[in-house]
Amino acid sequence: MASTDSSTSAGRARPLSPHLSVYRLTLTMAMSIAHRITGAALYAGVLLLAWFLIAASMDASAFAVFSGFVSSFFGRLILFGFSWSLFHHMLGGLRHFVWDAGYGLDDPQREWLAMATLAGGFVLTIIVWSIGYAVR
Amino acid sequence: MAPPHNKESSLRTPLARVRHLGPAHSGTQDAALMRLTSAGLIVLTIAFVWLVLSLLSKDYNGVRVSLGHPIPAIVMMLFVLVGIYHMQIGMRSIILDYIHGHARDWALMANIGFAAILALTCVYAVMRIGFA
Repeated sequence: MASTDSSTSAGRARPLSPHLSVYRLTLTMAMSIAHRITGAALYAGVLLLAWFLIAASMDASAFAVFSGFVSSFFGRLILFGFSWSLFHHMLGGLRHFVWDAGYGLDDPQREWLAMATLAGGFVLTIIVWSIGYAVR
Repeated sequence: MAPPHNKESSLRTPLARVRHLGPAHSGTQDAALMRLTSAGLIVLTIAFVWLVLSLLSKDYNGVRVSLGHPIPAIVMMLFVLVGIYHMQIGMRSIILDYIHGHARDWALMANIGFAAILALTCVYAVMRIGFA
C-alpha cells in the first residue's frame, strides 16, 4: 500500500495524466465542464437567496433594497443566470442518474442526451420566466 | 503490497485498512451523498421554484405572510440545507481537483465555513420570519 503522505512524494516528479488541451472538444466534454461551472455559479448564487431571506426577516426598508436590486437590469441578469444554472445543473444531475442506471452511455444516445439536457435547461428557464412575468 | 506505516501498532488486517477507503479516504461516501442529495434536490428545486413564483407578485408583508406558513418555510429550509450540503461536497471536489499544497487546506476550511455560515443564516432568517 503506497503511502498517501505528501511529504514522502514531495521532491519527486510524478507522471501526470494529460490535460484537457490534448483532447478535441466534444459536446459531452463541454457539458461536463458546464455542469461544474453552473454548480460553482449556484454556489455563489446562494448568497442572493440568503440576502432575500435576511431582508425579508428584517424591516421593509431592508427588503426594499433587495427588491430594488433584483428588479434592476443587472439584478435580473444575475437572476436569469441563476435560474438557467439551476435548471441546467438539475437536468445534468438527471443525466447522471440515467448513466448511473447504466443507460445512455453509447455513441448516439449520449449525444442526444447531452443535447436534450442543453436544450431542456434553456426551455425550462424560458418557461419559468414566462410564468414569472405573467403572474407578477 | 508495501508494509503498513507502523507494523507494531497495527493489528488491523490489510482488508480492514482498505475497506470503505478510496485513495481520498472518503470518496465513496461523497459519491453516495451526492446522489442522495441530488435526488432530494430534484423534488425540492421544483417546490422552491414554485414557491419563488408565488412570491413574485407579493410585497414585503405578503412575502412574510407566505414564508410564515409552515409548509413554505419548511420547503425553503430543506432546499437551503440540502442544497448547501450538496454544493459543499461539489466545491470540495473542485478544490481537490485544482488547488494543491497548503492553499488546499485553507480552501477546504473556507468551503466548510462558507457553507455552515450560509446554512445557519438562511435557516435563522426563515425561523425569524415564522416566529415573528
